[in-house]
Amino acid sequence: MNTRDAKEILLLYRGPIDDSDPQFRVALDYAKSDPELGQWLREQTKCYDMIRAKLRAIEPPLGLSEKIVRRRPIPFPRDWSRIGQLAAAILISASVTALLMKWSERRHAVAGAQEILVTGEVLDMTCYIASNLSGPEHAYCAKVCIRNGEPAGIKARDGKVYLLTGEPGQSINAKLADYAAQVVTIKGKKSVRDGFAQLQVEEIRKF
Amino acid sequence: MSADLEFENLVRLYYRDLYRFGLSLTGSEADAADLTQETFYIWANKGHQLQNPASVKGWLFTTLHREFLKTCRRQNRFPSESIDERMEDLPNVPAECADRADSRTLLRILGEIAEDFRAPLVLYYMEDLSYKEIADVLALPLGTVQSRISRAKIQLLRRLSETNLPVEHAK
Repeated sequence: MNTRDAKEILLLYRGPIDDSDPQFRVALDYAKSDPELGQWLREQTKCYDMIRAKLRAIEPPLGLSEKIVRRRPIPFPRDWSRIGQLAAAILISASVTALLMKWSERRHAVAGAQEILVTGEVLDMTCYIASNLSGPEHAYCAKVCIRNGEPAGIKARDGKVYLLTGEPGQSINAKLADYAAQVVTIKGKKSVRDGFAQLQVEEIRKF
Repeated sequence: MSADLEFENLVRLYYRDLYRFGLSLTGSEADAADLTQETFYIWANKGHQLQNPASVKGWLFTTLHREFLKTCRRQNRFPSESIDERMEDLPNVPAECADRADSRTLLRILGEIAEDFRAPLVLYYMEDLSYKEIADVLALPLGTVQSRISRAKIQLLRRLSETNLPVEHAK
């Protein structure tokens, strides 16, 4: 081994963490017998420590850990026989609900619904209501949340927020996820109950 | 310990490291925060599949890196490049030189290094992972990881030494 070979190996040496790695053993012994190489190694290790300290001094934005914990999906027990039973129950319940909604829809024809156009930003309602998060900086999160089934909404220019829904029994989240945090115009049927406004989406146009 | 507490402890333990890794890869604070959140979201859904509890850290880093690569593919960012640095190009960078550069400068220089080389270099500097663990996180052969770290490190130090040139030399 010569100095150049030793340097090539020791370029990867980080200090005590690599002491037990056999690939460095011979080169480290060689550095002990070559004062110039020893000096170079000390400088390299010091330089490594400084760069590492600088990079590890970077702090995440305030509140990130709380946000992660808050957004944690609810754990689901994975007992497959129970999951099967649950899936069957959901299927039956969804079918009955869908039939009832169709029937109800026909009877009431979205009672009191009024067709309107709303222009505004597509929101992920969970993050918006809980943490007031919206806008382009939140786009990626909003997209993921909506795609994963969180309720979506639209904030009109007058500041009014509508919950966005599809036809009864049909999710529109997959479609809305593509427009997360973007300004769009939505045509839909507006209905209000207990002060809470909902827009049943019929058409989306990118603004 | 309840599942909620376990999750909170895991977040507290690793979210800083994951955020820094994400920031070094993307160069954007918002993207790094999103990647960190997405990683823990995936953990909450799939973490139970992990057989060996000791490899949680590696699993989280692998997942974040995978999510980052998915985003890159979608946005067609960071086309694959190579680094042609040799041992002869290694500058003599005194430790003070690294001391003068702040975190932002280091991140900027890291951002200029090709992504294939940046990820192993960042793990080399920031995490106490063995070379084998770095190779596992990035799903690369051990030799490739070491070669990429060496070349990327030479480039980082060379750029660092250029950045810190005295004003009269920089002209």
